[in-house]
Amino acid sequence: MMLMAMLVVVITGALSACSSGSSGGSEDGNVNLTFMFSGQPQEQTAYKNVVKKFEEAHPDVKVKTVVTAGDQYDTKLQAAIAGKSVPDVFFYNPGNLKAYVNSGVLMDITDLVENAEGADLTKIWESGVNKYRYDGEVAGQGAIYGLPKDLGPFAFGYNKTMFEEAGIPLPDPDKPYTLEEFLEVNKQLTKDKDGDGKLDQWGTGLNVNWSLQPFVWSNGADWLDETHTKVTVDDPKFIEALQYFADLQNVHKVTPSIAEGQTLDTYQRWMQGQIGFFPVGPWDMGAYKDLKFEYDLLPWPVGSTGETQAWIGSLGIGVSSKTKHAELAAELALYLSSDEEGQQALVDQQVQLPNNTDVAEKWAADTSIKPANKQEFLDIIGEHGRDLPTNFTYTGEWYDEFFKNIQPVIDGKKTAEEYVKEAQPKMQELLDKAIKQEEQAKK
Amino acid sequence: MKTTSKLYQSERRNAYLFVAAPVIGFLIFTLAPTLYSLYGSFTNWNGLGQMNFIGIQNYIDLLTDESFHKTMYNTLFMMLGIPIGLVLALLLALGLNRAIIGTQVFRVLYYVPVISSLAAISILWQWAYNGDYGLVNQFLGIFGIDGPSWLMNKDTVKPALILMTVWKGLGYSMLLYLAALQSVPKTYYEAARLDGANAFQVFKNITLPMVKPVTFFIVVTSIIGGAQIFTEINVMTPTGGPEYSSATVVFYIWQKAFGNFEMGYGSAMAVVLGLFIFAFTYIQFKVNEKSSYDLD
Repeated sequence: MMLMAMLVVVITGALSACSSGSSGGSEDGNVNLTFMFSGQPQEQTAYKNVVKKFEEAHPDVKVKTVVTAGDQYDTKLQAAIAGKSVPDVFFYNPGNLKAYVNSGVLMDITDLVENAEGADLTKIWESGVNKYRYDGEVAGQGAIYGLPKDLGPFAFGYNKTMFEEAGIPLPDPDKPYTLEEFLEVNKQLTKDKDGDGKLDQWGTGLNVNWSLQPFVWSNGADWLDETHTKVTVDDPKFIEALQYFADLQNVHKVTPSIAEGQTLDTYQRWMQGQIGFFPVGPWDMGAYKDLKFEYDLLPWPVGSTGETQAWIGSLGIGVSSKTKHAELAAELALYLSSDEEGQQALVDQQVQLPNNTDVAEKWAADTSIKPANKQEFLDIIGEHGRDLPTNFTYTGEWYDEFFKNIQPVIDGKKTAEEYVKEAQPKMQELLDKAIKQEEQAKK
Repeated sequence: MKTTSKLYQSERRNAYLFVAAPVIGFLIFTLAPTLYSLYGSFTNWNGLGQMNFIGIQNYIDLLTDESFHKTMYNTLFMMLGIPIGLVLALLLALGLNRAIIGTQVFRVLYYVPVISSLAAISILWQWAYNGDYGLVNQFLGIFGIDGPSWLMNKDTVKPALILMTVWKGLGYSMLLYLAALQSVPKTYYEAARLDGANAFQVFKNITLPMVKPVTFFIVVTSIIGGAQIFTEINVMTPTGGPEYSSATVVFYIWQKAFGNFEMGYGSAMAVVLGLFIFAFTYIQFKVNEKSSYDLD
């Protein structure tokens, strides 16, 4: 594998040497740009169309698109970087922002996008742009090193049909459940419908990797302290939230048990209408279009702070610091991020939210698109959405460590307190290492 | 030897050209990256920027890296599939070496997994192992067994992966055995029969020794391949499995090098893994030399 990785490095290096800079001008005076991205087939088509439109507006520019399968994207991009043939414009994970900036991969495009003609930065979500700001110390402020390809607010959904059948009053879209209320509704929803002695309907079924965050945050805790240098998972408020989360399964049994499945399986159970509450991301909307039941969005349940919280995922569009056509490359990035028509095409595929705030408002008000309460997505972006903790650190290994051994807690074989006491020092060690790595990279 | 013929000279030049193609390929695509990786293992390279020489620090860190030990153990554990596959492949080959109807069809069927894409197969098996709707549990359900969620459980994930890799490699090993079986001279069997040997004696004293080179080949290549198992793990258990119980060394290298910007550290692990493979292979060659049969 290492050999393979190195191989890619060498090949890409060799190729870039042959083509003498893919971003250089060709003999007929045209400008060539390379745009590397990944996405599902519909997304690819949508982005290629945006690129085509960009080319029409700039007759002397040719944009070469390089598409890579999603799970290999980061590897290929890093191989391209190591091989010194970075595409002019490319997608990247916001968690890699610091590393890419410190290593001189990304270009500061602040001036270029703020003063760009034809496209307007202020039309894109401000919080989306802020994700790609970095001042050399803290991510989230300072110069702009990318634009959001999209924002992915991870909202909470419920099976409306199931509520109606069970005669449970529908949740208020503006008033989140408290943890007690949430548990109560879950209990009501968990039942053996056909009387064979086995449960066939559950309140919820949440994957700890992707759904623990709202519980922790709304309980006033977090993975990191404000300086992003200390791991705080051993905070009592954190423990309380984690224990509550675990108890849903192993004490209250309102979720399918381990034997009855996890992750993928609860996703399928939700799709089959066996689960009351389930997270909904904008990328799910296409798949949920054909559900046999009605679903809608509500705020995530709240812990002791009373404030609902959710995380927002994102993918960035960056410009290479080595590009020979900085202005055009930045313009292409802005175009990809904000072009109304292009955005509309992506939104029509139901894989993402509009990046353009005007389009988004219209979209949220459009009752012909399920779910009805799409405003919840926008509320998360505007008010109660947060970045995943890894966006603030040089690498995410310390965060992954938390989830590596968490299964026994979810299964009730270990208490939350025992677990976080064990995990905290290991995580802290890895975080310290990441901080050290960051300092070294700056030198 | 002195050559005078022009024809011979041009042939010789062509011969060198033919030889050069793979040799150059090896130098550029194998040797150079290997040396580069070896150098990288002594640096704190993050895969993006500067390489700073830090001596053997990466190797020292490896000694106390629990995850490295765990992934090493997982990798070795999953090699349990090698002897299982070996025995099954030989039995199958013996079966399909007989004049029964449909042997051709069976040979093809067993070979299909070998030529299929590993990623595609991994996705299929991922579904087969699904706790609720998976083929495996539905099959077990016929016998009233309530199967686990195979890939979500740390006790079942490794056996599940072993089963799949055995299935995938079976056709290849079987075909090799089949070829070996067919090349055993019939006269040996006839002589043994005249001497009154029973089927087991024939198998033990003639068949087994005669296919030994193939066994050796399969064992060596399987260990090399098994040490580098990655795609199955990455597709079927993208987080390394519950409690990292299915993460292999290469999976960990990949995570470190590309996920955590520790290309230097990853290189060090790759070097250690490479040495392991080399040592294993060397020992096998030695053992094989010693126990070689002399048939005359």
